Amino acid sequence: MLGLASVMATPLMRCAVRAAAPRAHLHLKLLRHARPAHLAASCFLSTGPGDGTQHTARIRLRTRLLVTLGLGAGLAAAGGYVYWEKRQTLRRQRVEQLKRVAVGQGDFSLTDHTGRRRRKEDFLGGWVLLYFGFTHCPDICPEELEKLSAAVASLDRDPALPRVQPLFITVDPERDDVAAVGRYVKDFHPRLIGLTGTDEEVRRAGRDYRVYASAGPKDEDGDYIVDHTILIYLVNPDGLFLDYYNRMKSEEQICQSVRNHMKEHVTL
Amino acid sequence: MTAPNSAERKACWGARDDLWRCLDDHHDQTGPCESFQKLFESSCPAQWVQYFSKRRDFLKYKDKMKAEGFTPAEGPKQTS
Repeated sequence: MLGLASVMATPLMRCAVRAAAPRAHLHLKLLRHARPAHLAASCFLSTGPGDGTQHTARIRLRTRLLVTLGLGAGLAAAGGYVYWEKRQTLRRQRVEQLKRVAVGQGDFSLTDHTGRRRRKEDFLGGWVLLYFGFTHCPDICPEELEKLSAAVASLDRDPALPRVQPLFITVDPERDDVAAVGRYVKDFHPRLIGLTGTDEEVRRAGRDYRVYASAGPKDEDGDYIVDHTILIYLVNPDGLFLDYYNRMKSEEQICQSVRNHMKEHVTL
Repeated sequence: MTAPNSAERKACWGARDDLWRCLDDHHDQTGPCESFQKLFESSCPAQWVQYFSKRRDFLKYKDKMKAEGFTPAEGPKQTS
């Protein structure tokens, strides 16, 4: 009997404590689990609705939410880092593969349209868009060079981007001397550099980019058409060949691709 | 021989387009387009005239292939 009285007394006391100091309920929470159900009910009735029990539930919900959110954010951050790390690894692997690719590995040495000697290494540290063609080209070269110039001009308009150097290398050194190339590049982007050289120099530069070029038969004027590879090459600041654009690629597609390559570029 | 400059190129392409439009309108009859042909030949280097003529044939062939699809020629009949 006495034992029951003491049991009856403690929960009531506890409720009184809870009512007086609602903040203490976190400690009481543990004790409450040990309490018989009917006593808990009486205590609940004695303090009325909207008391500490609901408050506790709310707090617990909030804590749980916070913990869940915290864990979620942590997991997302970890996942994001793993994803980023994986992409970085892939990029590094790509650069390693590109270094092994035999395209654009040589160091061309040619003469520009002002008569200056230029080597490929002179263009290291900057982005290059490169096109092979010839000045007597009826339609494709001017169209491609116009597209290239428009793409460079469009990238120029974004001050956040590094400058892209447009280059034109002739596949027809017989007719395209320094003066002819000089006249030709004036029709395109103001920063376009035209390059020419001896037969051997030009052939070596072309071979390096797997450029096919074959002069057709001469007519009575001595005029001829050179059949050649029509590609625009993207070379990164490390001098590595990164991408190429064919006739089907629009100016916008080229710009977008160059931007993406710039974004993903990691200086070696 | 110097290469055509920007203005000369544009003049040549303009004359080419006029001629091609005329040929399209007249179902490739050269008669009614003679004046355009003359203007085309005088606006472009001879080598380009030849090149563009071949190019027109190629483009027409390409369009035809696109429109009608490719039908492989019948191979030699095999005798059993």
